[in-house]
Order: sequence, then C-alpha cells, then structure tokens
Amino acid sequence: MKRTFDAIVVGAGPAGSSAALTMVKAGLSVALLERGNFPGEKNMFGGVLHRLTALEEYFPNFWEQAPWERHIVKKNLSFITPGSSFTVSFDNEAADTPPYNGYTIFRPKFDNWLAQEAVKAGATLLTRSTVDDVIRENGKIVGVTLLRDGAELRAPVVIAADGVLSFTAKKAGLRQAKFSTAQQGVCIKALIDMPKEVIDDRFGLVREQGASSEIVGNSSGIRGGTFIYTNYDSLSLGMVLELGSLEKTDQTPYGLLNNLMDQPQIAKLLRGGKLLEYSAHLVPKGGYSMIPELVGDGIMVAGDAAAFCIITGLNLEGINLASQSGVLAGKAAIEAHQQQDFSKQGLAHYRKSLEESFVLKDMKMYRRTPQMLHNDRIFSQYPELVCGVMDEIYRIDGKPKETMTKLLLRKVKETVGLKNLLADVYGGWRAL
Amino acid sequence: MKINLDEIFDYTSFNVDRDPHIKLDEQICKSCDQRSCVNCCPAACYSWDEENLKITFVHDGCLECGTCYVICGKDAFTRWRYPRGGFGVSYRMT
Ligand SMILES: Cc1cc2nc3c(=O)[nH]c(=O)nc-3n(C[C@H](O)[C@H](O)[C@H](O)COP(=O)(O)OP(=O)(O)OC[C@H]3O[C@@H](n4cnc5c(N)ncnc54)[C@H](O)[C@@H]3O)c2cc1C
Ligand code: SF4
Ligand code: SF4
Repeated sequence: MKRTFDAIVVGAGPAGSSAALTMVKAGLSVALLERGNFPGEKNMFGGVLHRLTALEEYFPNFWEQAPWERHIVKKNLSFITPGSSFTVSFDNEAADTPPYNGYTIFRPKFDNWLAQEAVKAGATLLTRSTVDDVIRENGKIVGVTLLRDGAELRAPVVIAADGVLSFTAKKAGLRQAKFSTAQQGVCIKALIDMPKEVIDDRFGLVREQGASSEIVGNSSGIRGGTFIYTNYDSLSLGMVLELGSLEKTDQTPYGLLNNLMDQPQIAKLLRGGKLLEYSAHLVPKGGYSMIPELVGDGIMVAGDAAAFCIITGLNLEGINLASQSGVLAGKAAIEAHQQQDFSKQGLAHYRKSLEESFVLKDMKMYRRTPQMLHNDRIFSQYPELVCGVMDEIYRIDGKPKETMTKLLLRKVKETVGLKNLLADVYGGWRAL
Repeated sequence: MKINLDEIFDYTSFNVDRDPHIKLDEQICKSCDQRSCVNCCPAACYSWDEENLKITFVHDGCLECGTCYVICGKDAFTRWRYPRGGFGVSYRMT
C-alpha cells in the first residue's frame, strides 16, 4: 500500500485526533494512524478529563456530545498512614453546571468518539496500523512506514502524537533514546464494579456528580500517589509510581496496590466491589526539562510524545495539554500548507503558539514541581505527621493536653524535623 | 478484593500475537545484577529463575506500558516495539 496525504498523524489519542480534526476542518487530507483495533483500545488513564477549551470551537455543547461518566464537583486530598487518614474535601456548587470543569471518562469510549468526529469531518482513520519508522528524504521527514507488509504513507508534514514512548519522535531524532527512570512514572489501575447508589452514598454525591480523590502515603515510602475516581457505576483505583524510586526496591506495583486496598479507610470505600479490568501505562512526569525538540523538518511532536503532562500531587493534567497541543500543531500544519514551507523554520510557528498558550506557560510555571516531588519525606513522613497530630488532638486518654505549639513542634521533631519542614515549605511554595 | 495476576486473562482482554513484540538477549540478562524488570513490570511478565540463573519472559499478558523499556539499564532488548496492528492488549473500559 502506498498513499499520499496532506498530513499524517501518528496516534489517535486526544492529541492526534485533535490535530486531525483541526486540519480536516481546514480542508486538508489527513491520515490518522492508530495501532489499536479502534482508537482508545490501548489507552488508559486515571482519570479526570479536564475541560477541553481547545475543542470548544468544534463542540460548543461538549457535555452533551462527548461520552462521559460523571462530572466532577468534589475534590478530595487525603494523607494516609497504615491505620489512619486525614482528608480535606472541596465540594463546589459552581462545578455542578455546564460547562463542567472535569469529567470521568473511559478512554476506549472517549478516544474512539473523538477520532470518529475527525472521521466525520473527513479524516482517513487507519486502525491496526502500527507505525514502524519515518521516511526521510534529503534530511526531511516525508512520511511513515507501517509494521505491515511494507505499507508506506507519505505527506509533507507528520505529527507525532504517539504517546509517552513516541518512537516516531525518537526515530525522527527529536528526542533522546530513552528518558531516565526519574522522569517516568508507571501507573496501574483497577476498575472496580459498584452500583451507582452505593457510590453516591459513599462519596456524598447525587445525580451524575462525581468525586476525585488524590491520596498521599502508605506507598512503602515509594514516590507516588494513589487516586480514586468515581465513574457512573464503577470506581477507578490506581497508583502512579515513580520508576526511579520503584526500581530501588523489590516492591511490585500490584503488591503496593493490594496493600493499599487493605488499608482500613480505603477498604471501606471499596467494600463489595468487584475487579472489572486491570491496566497499566507510563506517564511522563519529568516536566518542563523533559520536553524534547518539538519541531523538525516535516515533523511536529504533540501531547505525551512531547512530555506535556503536569503532575502536582493535587491534580494530573495531560489530556487537556495533549488536545491543545494537537490543535496548535494542526494549525501550524495548515499554515505550512499555505506557505508551502514544511521545513523546521516553516513549522516553527508551532512552538511559538505553544509558548503563548497555557501549555508551555503552565509547564514552565510548574517546572520546579518534579524536583519538589523528588522529596521522599512527602510520601511517608508528612502523612505520618498530619495523621499523628490529628490523632493526639482528638485523643481522650485521661492525660492533660499539651499546647498546640508544643504538640506540633514535638510531632515535627518526631517525623520530618524542623529544618526539613521549613525547607520543604519554602520549596513547596516555589514549586506550586 | 485483590489483584491476582495469575487471573489477569479473566479481567483484561488480549489478542496475543505469536510473534513476540519484545525479545531479550539472554546473555545480557545473565550478567545483570539489577533485574528491576522483575519487580517493576506491572503484569509480572519477567521472572528470575534462580535454579538456571536466567530471566524468563512471557509476552502474553503484556500491558504494553513501556516500563521494562525504560527501566532496563542494559538495553537487553533485541526487539522492543508495540505489537503489530490489532494484536496485544485490548481494553474495554478503563
Ligand atoms: C494512570 C494515569 C492517569 C492519568 N490521569 C490523568 C488525568 O486524570 N487527567 C488528565 O488530563 N490526564 C491524565 N493522564 C495523562 C493522559 O492520559 C495523557 O497525557 C494523554 O493520554 C496524552 O494524550 P496523547 O494523545 O498525547 O497520547 P495517548 O493518549 O497515549 O495516545 C497515543 C496514541 O498513539 C497510539 N500509538 C502509539 N504508538 C503508535 C504507533 N507506533 N503507531 C500507531 N499508533 C500508535 C496509541 O495506541 C494511542 O492511541 C494520566 C495518565 C496515566 C497513565
Ligand atoms: S531485561 Fe534488563 S533489567 Fe531485566 S534482567 Fe535483563 S538486563 Fe536486567
Ligand atoms: S511493557 Fe509493561 S507490561 Fe509489558 S513486559 Fe514491559 S513492563 Fe511488562
């Protein structure tokens, strides 16, 4: 098979489909290549789909058009130890009316929907098409080959939206062979069957309201976090674990998750649930300093392939950045067609527009966060500190109470140490 | 509730390709004293055979997450790519 298009997009995830949609709307012929049997088949995430402002031009009533599970009104943050938990909860009425701020979704449904929208607008979606390599002529990328009897697709511009490992960007020489283990996190997730009414009761929700919970602690000291998100009638329970931290131990991801499911406060939330599906994926967690070359001759990189992910411990943003960068790459390709200049220079507009958008602005603002999260104290000593203080504040045991200042100082000394605490508060303030 | 990877095929679907998408150079693994692939792989595809002092790798239940690709410090792979189109893990919900 040999075919020619105006543009090729590798990967029909949120970045790829957003790019394809943008380009076909402007009249370009676009091949959208996906290795799965259908878009989304290979994809998992937490997850909360944050509002996709980039696509509002195409889907003004997004919440009536896209397939989602629940809209998020409640955000919980918990610190847990093996036997206790401390939670702050933000329940927000303003998030209960459209345009919603975030949704829980299933990737096999959502990604497929978005790709089909691109198809309706004119994109050529080729599934079961694993891209093998880029085709290079006179130093320029002019197409790709598929892992399928020598199939070859050509276009003056290729958008690499093939996710966290992006072999396309790598083969085009835009990113290093491998990122370090400190820059990648492995995520595992258990999808747990639970009746809607039970979820509503346990999480304090009505109608299609949803809750997201981020949980720090009880990960055997490994840098990482836990999340629980409410779908319509199932829960997503998962962990994000930094590889650099995990590799130094003999713990397994599923062992840690099993351990967590036995933690008494978590166990109460999961009681009666049944495992429906188990999945795993990497997440780029290196932040701004991990961003590869975004543009080459005839090629641009978008989404996870460009490491556009923000992980703060309070939130995980990825799809919104993927979608926005996809749209901007699509626009740069449209302009390149108008100018008939597909060189690195001709596509340089992409980087500029990213810098003007929230994508690179936010990546830059949170550039210190990955470093802050390299602090092991966050994942064991701080949860111990918070829960320990709460335990003593509430405990009635016939002994006279300490003043709050004394109690705090003593607990800080027992756990993190005063000097560390001050340094961490300063570091955290700068990073967030 | 517990995740028991011996039962992974009961809850996650696969369309296993006979031709593995990941291949190892056993000689390189033999000289590896880190073997992080064994504990880090979320699908337990790698195991260390203490008796014969070799790594056993089974690609059947591979979730295509990429962890082993990133974690192996010795680049022991003679092949590491995603499965051919249409093969491999197939998520239904998630
Ligand atoms: C556990 C976890 C939790 C997360 N939680 C959140 C969250 O709550 N909110 C949020 O916004 N983000 C979250 N993220 C991040 C988010 O999932 C990603 O940022 C987002 O999916 C990136 O989109 P993308 O289109 O760039 O890449 P992907 O979604 O990875 O899409 C890439 C596509 O390319 C295809 N592909 C790959 N290689 C090839 C090839 N060679 N040939 C053909 N096709 C190929 C893949 O099959 C896939 O469909 C989470 C991630 C993980 C792992
Ligand atoms: S795959 Fe890599 S990490 Fe695993 S045993 Fe072989 S050389 Fe070591
Ligand atoms: S890609 Fe992931 S699931 Fe597959 S063998 Fe490697 S670590 Fe295991």
